[in-house]
Amino acid sequence: MQPFFKHIKPAADLILTLIYWTYFTLGYIIFFLPLYLWSAFFSKDPEQSFQKLNHLFYKGFFGLVRSITPGLNFDIDEQVLSVRSSIIVCNHISYLDPILLISLYEKHKTIVKNIFFKLPVFGWVLKRSGYMPSASDAKLSEVMLRQVEGMHEYLASGGNLFVFPEGTRSRDGNIGKFEKGLFKIARFCHAPVKVFFIQNSNRLFYPGKFLFNTCTKNVIKLKLIGEITFDKQGKMPPVDDMIGMVRSMMETYNMDSGKKS
Amino acid sequence: MKLEREYILKELSRIFNEKFEIKNPGVDDDLREEYEFDSIDAIELLVEIEKILGFPLSQEQKKMAMEVRTIEQICDYIQRMEYVGV
Repeated sequence: MQPFFKHIKPAADLILTLIYWTYFTLGYIIFFLPLYLWSAFFSKDPEQSFQKLNHLFYKGFFGLVRSITPGLNFDIDEQVLSVRSSIIVCNHISYLDPILLISLYEKHKTIVKNIFFKLPVFGWVLKRSGYMPSASDAKLSEVMLRQVEGMHEYLASGGNLFVFPEGTRSRDGNIGKFEKGLFKIARFCHAPVKVFFIQNSNRLFYPGKFLFNTCTKNVIKLKLIGEITFDKQGKMPPVDDMIGMVRSMMETYNMDSGKKS
Repeated sequence: MKLEREYILKELSRIFNEKFEIKNPGVDDDLREEYEFDSIDAIELLVEIEKILGFPLSQEQKKMAMEVRTIEQICDYIQRMEYVGV
């Protein structure tokens, strides 16, 4: 770190964090909430409109972060940007990971923990965006049914479903235990599984911290590291095999990139 | 034509083997506890149940299936839906 940045870092972390949170709160309420309301009542396809608004909101967030955070860069694979009609699986190291993926794809869905569906406003946006609950309880079983049944058509129309199979953020960079749900959806929808690997988002916003870590040389990387697709008969491999393949891809990439750095 | 319970059990055994990689589950086994059979599996199973019944189920009828836990309960569900659908 350059001496100048070393002196201003604590103040810069605080000021930049406040700017980001201002975008998240006031930016959302002033600029986006009216658009969500308009879409809810007047859009011909509210679900698609909500996804597009989510995409624009987070694209704006990362545009802001990229332009005002000293030392921060992004290295996003061209292949990542061209992915369509796929189920995307990615390792999970920061709260920034899902919103980074939303910022990359206008047409996207994801799986969200049930508890978020119960929050006011946010839960409503999640439901209207067509996101899926992570587990089916009695109140959300209808949402789950509708979303899973419609997923085949959604993917065929160019949408992506992205999921973090570990279900929670890794604190030490190791790959955690995988949930089976998304692999079952891949089997049900006969959709290819694209495997992504994200690095260094936790260096910008570490789990459990309030302040963003700025004024530090950091490159957030997102790479496409592999793919699982169906065979000539249109069948996907068994769920446990898919899990083993994805785990192996992620661990190998993680180990290789650790050696390089 | 009324579906025989024996026929339903045979079909379910085939479906669980082919679709869910679950071999010969016991009729009273708790599918969630013993085989991690979850709501996504249940939705996939509903597609197969519709094939057995020969007619589509309504959303309300499908919601009822989300709570079943054993092969025995699935059999009961199919027979109940057949009765409703006639």
